[in-house]
This record gives sequence, C-alpha cells and structure tokens, in this order.
Amino acid sequence: MTAAESVAEAPRPRVSFLALLRVFWRSLFLQAAWNPHGMQNLGFAFAMQPALRELYPDAAARARAAERHLEFFNCHPYLAAAIVGGAVRLEEDVARGAADPRRVSAFKAALGPPFAALGDGFFWLALRPAAALIAAVTEPYLGIYCVLLFLAIYDGVHLAARAWLFFAGYSRGEGIVSAVSRAHIPQSTAFLKGTAAILAGAIAGRSVLIAGLPHRPWHAVLLAALILGIAAVLPRLRLTIALYIALALGLALGGALL
Amino acid sequence: MTLELVLGAVAAALIGGLAAIERKGALQLMLSRPIVLSPALGWALGDAEGGLVLGVPLELIFLGGVNLGGSLPANETLLAAALTSALVPAGMAAGTGVDAPLAAFGLALLYPLATAGRRLERAAELRNAALSDRALERAASGDASTLWLNLRGLLLPFAVTASICFACAILSPLLASARSSFPPRLVSGLTGAWHAVWALAAASAIRAIRDPRAAVFATAGFVLVLGAAALLNALP
Repeated sequence: MTAAESVAEAPRPRVSFLALLRVFWRSLFLQAAWNPHGMQNLGFAFAMQPALRELYPDAAARARAAERHLEFFNCHPYLAAAIVGGAVRLEEDVARGAADPRRVSAFKAALGPPFAALGDGFFWLALRPAAALIAAVTEPYLGIYCVLLFLAIYDGVHLAARAWLFFAGYSRGEGIVSAVSRAHIPQSTAFLKGTAAILAGAIAGRSVLIAGLPHRPWHAVLLAALILGIAAVLPRLRLTIALYIALALGLALGGALL
Repeated sequence: MTLELVLGAVAAALIGGLAAIERKGALQLMLSRPIVLSPALGWALGDAEGGLVLGVPLELIFLGGVNLGGSLPANETLLAAALTSALVPAGMAAGTGVDAPLAAFGLALLYPLATAGRRLERAAELRNAALSDRALERAASGDASTLWLNLRGLLLPFAVTASICFACAILSPLLASARSSFPPRLVSGLTGAWHAVWALAAASAIRAIRDPRAAVFATAGFVLVLGAAALLNALP
C-alpha cells in the first residue's frame, strides 16, 4: 500500500456534533469585528475555533490552521454559513492529510463573492423589504402584532436557510455550490421584489388617503405630488436633505392650511 | 429627576445597546430594525403603540439602506433607539402620547444621529482592524487562543448607543415641556410635517426596490388602493 493510498483509506477525523453546533452558533457573530483589512476574517476564525480545537490537538498546528482562517474573507453573513460548514469539512480532510491546506483558502476565496451577491440580492434587497412592507401594510389592522408578522416571515426564512446552508455545507463540502444553485434563489428574489413594489405603492396610496381625510382633497393631491417628487429625485438627492425639505414643506403647508 | 425616569433611561440604554450590536455584529435577526426596535423599546418604556408610530415610517425611510461590502448606510438603529428613548417618555409626560407633532419635532431634532451613526461605525471598523492585526500576530507566533477578540468588536457600538439612549431618555422632560407649549398653529404645521414624513417614507420604500419593474408595480399598488377606496366611498 502506497502512502497516498493509506492516507485515502485513513478514517476521516470527525468533528463532534456538539462542536458543529458551537461552530454554527459562533458563525452568528461573523461580523462582530468586521474591519476594512480582513473584513469578516476574525469572525470566521472565531467560528472555526471549536472545530479546530478538536481536529488539531497540537497547539502549533492549530495556530497554523487559525492563521489561514484569519485571511481576508467577505461574504453575505447568512450565506457564509455554507462556507463555514464547508470549511469544517475541508479541515477534516486536511487534518488527516488527504487535502492540501491551500484548498481551504481556495474554497473560501472562490465561494465568498458569488454567495455574497446571491445573499445581498435575496435577503437584503428582496426578503427584508417585502417582509417589512407586509408588516407596514397590515399595521392598521394588526397593530403591534405586525411586528411579530415581520419577524415570523423574515426569521422563519432566514434561520431555516442559515441552518440548512451550514449543515449542507458541512455534509457536501465543495458540493454546496450545486445545492445552492438548485434553491431557486434568483426566481424567489424576483417574486419578492415584485410583491414589495406593489406593497410600497399601496403604502403610498394609503398615505395619500389619510392626508386627505376628512374632506381635504387638496392635501391628498399635495401629498401625492410630494411622493412623486421625492421618488423622482431619490437617491440623487441625499436622504437627509430630502427629509428636511419634506419636513419644511409639510410644516409650511400644514401651518397655513390645516 | 425621578427614579422612574432613571430606570427607564437604564432600560433604554440596555435595549438600545443590544440592538446596536445585533444590527451588524451579532445574530442579525432584524431585532434592531426600526419596525421591531421602536415598539420593543416603547413597550419597555410604557408605550408600545407610541413606539410603533415611530417605527413603521422609520423602517420605510431606511428600507433601502444596505450594508454592501465596505459601504455604510445611515445608522437607522441609532436613530430609532434614540428617538424612541426620547419621545415615548416625553409623550407620556406631556399626556399626548407619541402624536404627529411630537414625532415630527423629535425627528427633525434627532435625525442627524443617523449620519453620526455612520461615523461611529467607521470608528468601530478601525478599532476592529487593530483587533484583527493582533489576532494575526498571535496566530503567527503559534498562539490561536486570541480569536475571542472577535467579540470585543461589539463593545464600542454597544457603549456609544447605550450612552446616547440614556441621555435621550434623561432629557425627555425637556421635549415634554416643549410639546405642551406648542401653539395650535405649530401643532397644525407639525402634523402636516408628519404627513410629509410619510410621503418621504412611501417614496423611499418605492426607491428601495432595486428592480426595473418597481415603478410599474408600485403604480399598480397605488391605483389598487385608490380604486378600493373609491369603491368603498372612502375617497377624501
């Protein structure tokens, strides 16, 4: 038996389930020390620590492993769960000598940017606006419970996705890419953005109606014009300036007309 | 200064500080979004509905603020926390609750905190860079035990936001007495200003949807609401 064959047949050192849970928990603090030099590097290394402690009993080997996780890393904080899980899997291979340590760095560097784009588009630019607008539209009917609706929609999806991504990343390693590509994220993003836009229009309509009540149709017309005007100039006009212009206009018109 | 005011200020400081670290550094369950934070903080201070009055429009105004890569949006959490800490006790003391005039007045006063919060975040990032360099040096010298330094990155946002919320709550009686002394014309003007804030919120929410179809869909939503109001004879 050659040395390579004996390495391939050696049992893979496995990280315990408890350590995996601890890695997942720590991955929720990925951006605690976000910085312009390494971005999420310290958070990534911090998340990996429980796994590294089990895989590398020798302190020097553990420090070398920690060093490669302190390299530059940036991704969407939720989608990064898949990369953290995959990195644990790859570290198991490195620990038994079946993989080059550079494979871990290459895996992180290759998946970070595309997963960041996917996560930003879905979570920040689609799911969060849609969930917030659903809550805002239902606020007159649900009152304070609209807050719970927002959290149920957003965190129901987000926490399930984060846990699935982490454990799928761990069980599939580099195969996580095909699993994510089958998750229909771009289609869901487009659907959520469409829904959010309709709801934003509905909020505008409701604001106009409220401003016009009781029997103040010109107020409704003025507010509709203001919405159109602001929507046309944002984001070229900074939000701060837009806010103070809106406040001043509202103050002047309200003081004179109400 | 009453004990009740100080206890409220401590609660505001704790909740505001925790929200500041939840915003980016920990969990990111969206507990720090204005639509959640303001009602929660309002509840802790004795008026959840008052918090909701502030939270919904603030959420819509900052709907498009996204932390992409190194870009820093305005800090909606700091503003929502400070505004709620100041206005909820003020509304209760004035006997008006968080009404439109108080909300518009408070927002005009405290909005600069949203941009100041961006500077706070930049300062925290520079401090974090030093923590990262320290962890790298230690790992290079064979010591992997310093990775917990990661959590130190949470301290500055917590401390600064908590201090601001504490100060806002302590100063809330000043806002209460200002609200009580508003003449009727100013009350009318500030009510109009709050309507305008809702206009900004609606426009900002539409612009937050970064999709080429957004204008068409938003127009459809707008027409649907007005159409439904016309059918129900609810047009102004």
